[in-house]
Amino acid sequence: MLLKRYIPIAIVAFFGALTLSAWFIDNETIETFANDDATQFFDIIAAFAVFLGALNLLKMQFIKVLKKQSGWIYSAIAIASFFFAFIIGFFVRGAYFVGEDIYYGEKSAIDSLISMDFNDDEIWSGGYIVNENLYYSRDAAENAVRELKLFSPVAWGAHVQTDGSLFQWMFQYIFSPLSATMFALLAFFVASASFRAFRARNFEASLLLVAGIIIMLGRVPVGSLISSWTIMYILSFSIGIGINSYVKNRNIVLGWILGSCGLITGFGMTMGWPIEQPAIFFLPALQEWIYLVPNLAGSRAILIGIGLGIVATSLRYIFGLEKSYLGE
Amino acid sequence: MKFLEDIILKLGAVDRRIIFVLIGLAVLIPLLTPISLPVRETPTTEKFYDGIEDIPKNSKVLVSFDYGPSTRPEIHPMNVGVLRHMFRNGHQVYISCLWPDGIYMALDALEEITFKDDPDKDDDKPDNISTFDIKEYEDYILLGYRPGAEAVIKGLASDLRKVYTVDANGNFIDDIEMMDGIKNLNDFAYIYSGSAGYPGTFEWVKYGGDPTGVPMSSGTTSVQVNEVIPYVQTGQLIGLLAGMPGAAEYEKLINVPGIAIQGMAAQSFAHIVIVLFIVFGNIAFFIKQRRDRKY
Repeated sequence: MLLKRYIPIAIVAFFGALTLSAWFIDNETIETFANDDATQFFDIIAAFAVFLGALNLLKMQFIKVLKKQSGWIYSAIAIASFFFAFIIGFFVRGAYFVGEDIYYGEKSAIDSLISMDFNDDEIWSGGYIVNENLYYSRDAAENAVRELKLFSPVAWGAHVQTDGSLFQWMFQYIFSPLSATMFALLAFFVASASFRAFRARNFEASLLLVAGIIIMLGRVPVGSLISSWTIMYILSFSIGIGINSYVKNRNIVLGWILGSCGLITGFGMTMGWPIEQPAIFFLPALQEWIYLVPNLAGSRAILIGIGLGIVATSLRYIFGLEKSYLGE
Repeated sequence: MKFLEDIILKLGAVDRRIIFVLIGLAVLIPLLTPISLPVRETPTTEKFYDGIEDIPKNSKVLVSFDYGPSTRPEIHPMNVGVLRHMFRNGHQVYISCLWPDGIYMALDALEEITFKDDPDKDDDKPDNISTFDIKEYEDYILLGYRPGAEAVIKGLASDLRKVYTVDANGNFIDDIEMMDGIKNLNDFAYIYSGSAGYPGTFEWVKYGGDPTGVPMSSGTTSVQVNEVIPYVQTGQLIGLLAGMPGAAEYEKLINVPGIAIQGMAAQSFAHIVIVLFIVFGNIAFFIKQRRDRKY
């Protein structure tokens, strides 16, 4: 109980309080701890967490494969991909530099530095030339290349991002296209889902629907090609449909449509149909307003809520009330 | 009228595979046959541009690549544009990455803007607008990726040399001349983060920009914009590049049209198709509701 519960709680409470106090106490030691040491502890733990995550991933996937659970074949592919990336990251350096040229393997780098010795009649003498010196066996030529250090492999660590390394090749030609494909699929699902789920079932849903359409059209250049007057006509007809649903009187609806359209046309002719005027009906201006006024207010409320939540949770940790990290 | 309603009802129950095909075509056709659409700058993008223009010439700036290949179409054009803008104004750029894939994105961006001498051309020179004769350790340095997210930023704000002892090429930071005089974030004139999520803009504002007071801005994906926009209004971010439209607007402002402007037609058509489907879906929904009420 003491080791498993009270000591961890005491450690968390102590370091939590110490880090928090750095904001309020003007003490260099505490400030150094909070700003440098604690963040370095975190960085080290984060680096080890990567290993832990990798091991956990392997464990889960191996269990799936061994138990032949549904979709186990994908787990097998995940395991194979993991070891492929692991091996080429940790054991295959690649990227051998010969001058400005880069080669994937050591052998191809050495081959590029050895040329066969031909005489004037284009007949091979049986020798090999390395750096203008003649060698009579292939092994001797290769040893000379190594001894003269005519090629240099890229440094470990830097190899993962250097052109010519297998890891970089894997990233460029396997990981990047797969990753981009996965993300691109979202466009199709968003289209399909919005078609099926975006329904004006009630007032709130209708508000969301209209705001969504304004944002979608207003954010892209095509939105600035839609004149404010077109939006006003659409609005006039939409209100007409609304009146028809409630009043069910054709004369009133006809009166509204004719009256509003006449008014819009009259104003349009007087003002010369400027595409951006009145700005309140211009989609790019309207979407900007939605972003900067109602959305901003909502986002700020959420941010303040999150902030207060973080304060409350942190205090719970410091006072030992929050024990989820102990598995409780 | 009933015939028309029946057609709309049929359209309302269209198979999702047809939606997929139409979306695919709406994206593919404008990409294959480029269509020019007018790009209109929004105030947040203009503010972003002005923010970078206001940095004193030949300053030291920190650019963070916090995204990967999945969000590359949105963020990469922004970061390429930002690097062009920075080098055009003579700044020295220090590149960090909070995402492991960020380093590859940074290398790609640098390759895109680095001038390559064409041996076939006699008077081949960088235009200093889109391509630059930049050299590593003179004009830019690639600090690389470090795990730890916000802890990395907090570390940079306190002591950069404790977070980065070596750069991305494995060279000791203390041995690099360009790092002379750089101790922490306070030594930079500006911070920019091209971010696609966590860790990214939020963390940079909270642990980088706010505590140090160094002016900063960000480029984010479209879905992040509504979360990040409060920071723009408060001035914690000097403007914002919002998704691919933001990148297109910025390309227009720096006068180097690129992939974001080209992509605007595809995005416009895709949005129109989605809006049309939503409208048809709703009309069908209302017709069905009315018919259900009748019977």
